[in-house]
Amino acid sequence: MILVVAEQRDGKLNRATWEAIAAAQQLAADGQVSIVVLGANIAAVAGELSAAQAREIVVVEAPALEPYTSDGFTAALAQVVGELKPSTVVLPHTYQTRDFAPKLAARLDRALVTDVTAIKTIDGSAAFVRPMFQGKLTADVVPQGETPHFVAVQVGSFRADQAAKGVSPAPVRALAVAVDAGAIRQKPEAPFQEARQSVDLSQAERIVAVGRGIKEQDKLPVAQQLADALGAELAASRPICDAGWLPMARQVGSSGQTVAPKLYLALGISGAIQHLVGMKGSQTIAAINKDADAPIFEVADYGIVGDLFEIVPAIIEALKQP
Amino acid sequence: MQTLTFWIFFLAGAGAFAAQVATRVRLIAAAPEPFSFDDAGARLQRFVFDVVLQRQTIRERPVAGAAHALVFWGFVAFAGYTLVEFLYGLGIADLTSTGWFHVYRLALAPFASAVLAGILYLLVRRAFVRPAGLGEHVSMESVVIALFIATLMITFLLGFRLDERTMAGRVNWWAHMLVILGFLALIPASKHLHLVLSPITVFLKSPELGRVRNLDFEKEEVGLETVKDLGKKTVLDAFTCVECGRCQVNCPAWGSGKALNPKTLILQTQEALLSGKPDRKLGEVYSEEVLWQCTSCGACENQCPVGIEHLPMIIGARRGLVSNGEAPEYLGSMYNHLERRKNIWGLGYDQRQKFVTSAGLEIFDPARHDVLVWLGCAGAFEADFQKSLRSLFEILKARNVRFGVLSKEQCNGDPAKRTGNEYMFQELANANIDELKRAGPKKILTSCPHCVKTIGEDYRRFGYEVEVVHSSVFVAELMRDVPPAPRPASAAGPVETVTFHDPCYLGRYAGKSDEPRELLTRFGGDAVDFREPVRNRDNPFCCGAGGGLLFADKEEEPGSRISDVRLKQLHDTGAGTVVTACPFCTIMLKGAQASAPSGGENIQFVDLMTFVNNRLTRS
Repeated sequence: MILVVAEQRDGKLNRATWEAIAAAQQLAADGQVSIVVLGANIAAVAGELSAAQAREIVVVEAPALEPYTSDGFTAALAQVVGELKPSTVVLPHTYQTRDFAPKLAARLDRALVTDVTAIKTIDGSAAFVRPMFQGKLTADVVPQGETPHFVAVQVGSFRADQAAKGVSPAPVRALAVAVDAGAIRQKPEAPFQEARQSVDLSQAERIVAVGRGIKEQDKLPVAQQLADALGAELAASRPICDAGWLPMARQVGSSGQTVAPKLYLALGISGAIQHLVGMKGSQTIAAINKDADAPIFEVADYGIVGDLFEIVPAIIEALKQP
Repeated sequence: MQTLTFWIFFLAGAGAFAAQVATRVRLIAAAPEPFSFDDAGARLQRFVFDVVLQRQTIRERPVAGAAHALVFWGFVAFAGYTLVEFLYGLGIADLTSTGWFHVYRLALAPFASAVLAGILYLLVRRAFVRPAGLGEHVSMESVVIALFIATLMITFLLGFRLDERTMAGRVNWWAHMLVILGFLALIPASKHLHLVLSPITVFLKSPELGRVRNLDFEKEEVGLETVKDLGKKTVLDAFTCVECGRCQVNCPAWGSGKALNPKTLILQTQEALLSGKPDRKLGEVYSEEVLWQCTSCGACENQCPVGIEHLPMIIGARRGLVSNGEAPEYLGSMYNHLERRKNIWGLGYDQRQKFVTSAGLEIFDPARHDVLVWLGCAGAFEADFQKSLRSLFEILKARNVRFGVLSKEQCNGDPAKRTGNEYMFQELANANIDELKRAGPKKILTSCPHCVKTIGEDYRRFGYEVEVVHSSVFVAELMRDVPPAPRPASAAGPVETVTFHDPCYLGRYAGKSDEPRELLTRFGGDAVDFREPVRNRDNPFCCGAGGGLLFADKEEEPGSRISDVRLKQLHDTGAGTVVTACPFCTIMLKGAQASAPSGGENIQFVDLMTFVNNRLTRS
């Protein structure tokens, strides 16, 4: 049996859990997995999880498990694993997992494979693919020794939307574990929150970026409209932020943010190297620029040589078509 | 009775001098890192020019420098006279009535007048004119010293009019001698210690600009962390400083409103050494912020008239910070790029391969090629610079120069070296040296001045010696027998106004400023109106990219941006075209242009090689 450890905070499920479920379903020969969720006041989360195609949802509720502590989770999960006896435990490789999983595996003296990006079969047994030496190599790891084996999957490596949903809701069962609040040594503080107004472009799926080609601050709405039509974040190269046309938080490049969206649409950006290094990781790069020699076309997958004030409204119009 | 009294005064003055000097000598003796004496010929030459002939003093400030030279030569001339008078006063020997002394004394009279004129000029300048470099407040100590020197000269000259045996004559003699003794007691704790130390410091200054010795990791060296880690030369420098402020007024960081002031750094070193707290952290002595504002342009060190070397201290202190994980964040990501991708941009080397293929470059083979062209990390990745390299290749091909490139290059390590990440520098340097040794070129040609310094000079410290030439120098030599093309009648457009931005690592470090101008005037011909910017040739104003600051953002650059200041200076020449000869200068100046739409937006930037090549193909 494959057990997935779900992650929630304040009754909200972490989306990476669905990625772990997808990985676990791939791993389970019969597609049957169990899912455990820990905390206090987590009935809603359990309900959400029961949509998954799963044997059962195990709910471990204890006041000592809220808020999260590595001591509390290790103690509770050690009991859950002893009770359910899974062959593999799959976790999303989140910061929380990084915090408690090594301790849990060490407590039980079992193998742990972290940062897994794919699952293979080698000679009939599951092998877990993980990067090594900062991504220069990938290793196929077959965990050895007694089960259960712990496997933490890299966030973004498995697709949440491919987690199979059940025809009817999976049964939800409560499991009582004893967690001694006095044995918990950590005292968590409120989670660190970055200033609300700052923009995290690194999470954006689509980015529309403007450069000097926009000419005037008054023309920015053109780019903003395109961004709205695409559901994209608006970003800029250094000159635009230097001029104060957009806040510094929206600057992409070596002295701004490094981004890797699925689509990066560069409007009037020549592509100086300091800008390129900040967006080179984008999956698809499209560029509109008057100058056919602009370096941005060296990295662009799609390029249009022309006036952005003619082309952008046409794109917006096309996006509005049903 | 008079002899005995003089002995008492003499012992007091000389004793005060000796005690104070001893403190400083002990600090120098206790410091690590022995002095170096290599290349004695170059050191001797510098001694003759900068000490005897006062070149550095006169060069930047001709009038004040000439006044100083008069005082200096006067002092030297007076040495024998002072000795004779002391021997007489102490009752050891009386040579004052010999014939030759009489002649000597007469010969000194014009010197005395010159010293008097010089010192009065300097006194007025310091007390009333007060240029920025000399600090905000009038230094009372300097005024006292100047008055002392004036008194010495006046009493000497009065000696001709007053009879030695009269009361007035005796008073005059005593005044002269007591001033000398007072002077002696005052010197060691003041900037006037440079009288004694600067000839030594100038001789001990490294023959090459910005030499920062390699760390020895076998000995677990990590760079400079506390005051007691400062090397002997740095300690000597601190006591030699004459506080003239040449380093300050030439510093691009100070000149763009930042906290860094190289003169302040030296005076802070002095204070830290004398305060008797050898364990104080250098990050506290200087403030970390200031240490990261240096572009390593070398202006401070190059303009210093008394032989002070700022860079070993600044980079040494950066090394101490980097070793303790205290580098600024933007350097962290650059170091990651260097470690993972072996270049500052963090890009994959397949891009270099693409360029090598598309430009049709051959892999270097010593049997078939005359020179190896080093592309550098700008040549491998930066589109603009690749254009200028293509121009260079066309020039080379037109002149039948056989050249090749390495199949594999890594960053030469310059940004790691100047920002104090010595470990990374040595890793990169050793990898490149292995590749270069395997390829075996006799001559390396590069269009990047930072590569010239790093491969040509820094790699020497690993025992790898090769001739590295900048393209401007190579092409200037290559083209000397090519007659400049006459301006074709069809191209009779308006005259192009052109200025040249000397890269620090070319004009100042490599000392090459004639060759680029030779190319500009020969190939520009009468179609070009060449204009010099302020701060040119061997004392250019930095573009702001050096020392790792290419990656700093606005928050790390308080005041105005160095690149903005330089762009304005270039714009002020009225030139429509700015010719550059370093990829990083081009990046910075173009960036300044894009960010500052209010001035110079119509300036065209052209790399020197493209400038030359355009004029070859047109003819």
